[in-house]
Amino acid sequence: MPARDIAIIGYAQTPSQRDAIQSEVQLLVGTITDAVTMAGIERREIGFTCAGSCDYLTGGPFAFVSNLEAAGSWPPISESHVEADGAFALYEAWMRLQEGDIDIALAFGSGKSSPSNPAEVWAQQLDPYYLAPLGADPVSLAAIQARALLDAGRATERDFAEVVARSRAQAASNPNAQLSGAVDVDALLAAPYHTAPLRRHDLPPISDGAAAVIMARGDKARELCSRPAWIRGMDHRIDPHQPGVRDITTARSATTAAKKAGYDGGPLDVAEVCATFSPQEIILREALGLPEGTQINPSGGPLAGNPVMAVGLVRVIEAAARIIGGSADRALAHATAGPLLQQNLVCLMEGE
Amino acid sequence: MSTDSPARKEEMVMEHLVSLTYRERLTPNLNRFVDRILEGELIGHRCPSCSRVYVPPKGYCPLCVVTTSAEDEVKVSDRGILTGFTIITPVAYYGQQATDPFVYASVLLDGASTPVGGQDITGVAHGRIHTGMRVRAVWRPPAERRVEGITNRGWGGLDAVIESFEVTGEPDASPEDYKEHLF
Repeated sequence: MPARDIAIIGYAQTPSQRDAIQSEVQLLVGTITDAVTMAGIERREIGFTCAGSCDYLTGGPFAFVSNLEAAGSWPPISESHVEADGAFALYEAWMRLQEGDIDIALAFGSGKSSPSNPAEVWAQQLDPYYLAPLGADPVSLAAIQARALLDAGRATERDFAEVVARSRAQAASNPNAQLSGAVDVDALLAAPYHTAPLRRHDLPPISDGAAAVIMARGDKARELCSRPAWIRGMDHRIDPHQPGVRDITTARSATTAAKKAGYDGGPLDVAEVCATFSPQEIILREALGLPEGTQINPSGGPLAGNPVMAVGLVRVIEAAARIIGGSADRALAHATAGPLLQQNLVCLMEGE
Repeated sequence: MSTDSPARKEEMVMEHLVSLTYRERLTPNLNRFVDRILEGELIGHRCPSCSRVYVPPKGYCPLCVVTTSAEDEVKVSDRGILTGFTIITPVAYYGQQATDPFVYASVLLDGASTPVGGQDITGVAHGRIHTGMRVRAVWRPPAERRVEGITNRGWGGLDAVIESFEVTGEPDASPEDYKEHLF
């Protein structure tokens, strides 16, 4: 199905912070307002709103409902919520725009990881089939994945450290980054293991944050933005939820999602990928088929700031910003959910 | 064996009690609210755009979507109108400590636009409680006030500072005064 012309015309994000003093809703109030202002629209022009967040993370049932206050929900609005990253909310809003009866949609994502112990919270997330706690925390799982990658001879610990050094260096020009600056690969390798074979720097920081994106259709997008970031395709695919039944050194669903989103392996100026642990960038580079010369995570990526539930939408924003700003013509954004790159979303964007 | 036989069902059930700990600082607006209630005073934020007063202060107006700050702080009365209530007969579910019927009422404080929910009503038999009754806060003695239950999620916790709202015996408020504030 050919997608209707839909483009990103406005966005905003909070800085990634270790411990934000504002509530999650307060983080969103300013962020959504900034995205609306950038798009040059009135809030009431938004025809559909979709939010992404996680009640486990916020620490209360129906916590996502109060987040909606930041979107301006009176008079009543048409809205939806996904218990997932804001990038998946963007996908739903993009699908909704394709109905053709509305012109503008808002997607946002938010999360505060600071109040809880993420390793504890994520282990209690429920397996979708058995509704039993997953039982393994993301860091332990990521270490198993890293070990599998090393054992397969597909990467070295130095490769992991090089991903980190490049992320931190690129993040130096990103005002929203939490970790940035020049680091020496040998110095990184001299650090002790956190969860072998991963060192602390191979892990993302614990972050609070929020992000919002405004999309518009066809002429409306052209009217509101001099150089919209046109979404040429967006797709998400899912691998088996149980990491033991798949090859965790690759992400087959990311490969499929990239193809279905229309990525043909051709030149890309920028790819913003949701590699939350350094080895995952190596896996994604291969799985997405990113060509040489593509700038990968110029923002620093999740290793420089990991506001869970917004971090995938931030990848879309960072890629779209470079098209809208004119420094890129073709960009790919990737978001993920589930254990070890189980679910993968790819958004392919171009300038006109 | 059919899947719905009792024996099979028993095999499929697993009890798993989960405890997760969250620690966070109160937002500046709630921190200020907590400071003031320890002193026996209730505050809110008045929206600079629509003039509605939110108690406790949210730090923003959800209707106008504008931020509010200390500059928008206003004091509200500890007297108000009972706008809605439920009399709950507790069943012994896990974690339920109450054994006798109790009241969960919303009180619209004089000067506020949003009712405070989950309050106990005293000085009247449960069967005689009705909306529109005028009530006043029964503050716990300063040394006994606790604020640990007040969180950024904004649910409850006030009962550890204000024991209950007791009926004042004043004439009922007109529904016109609170019909926009039911919760």
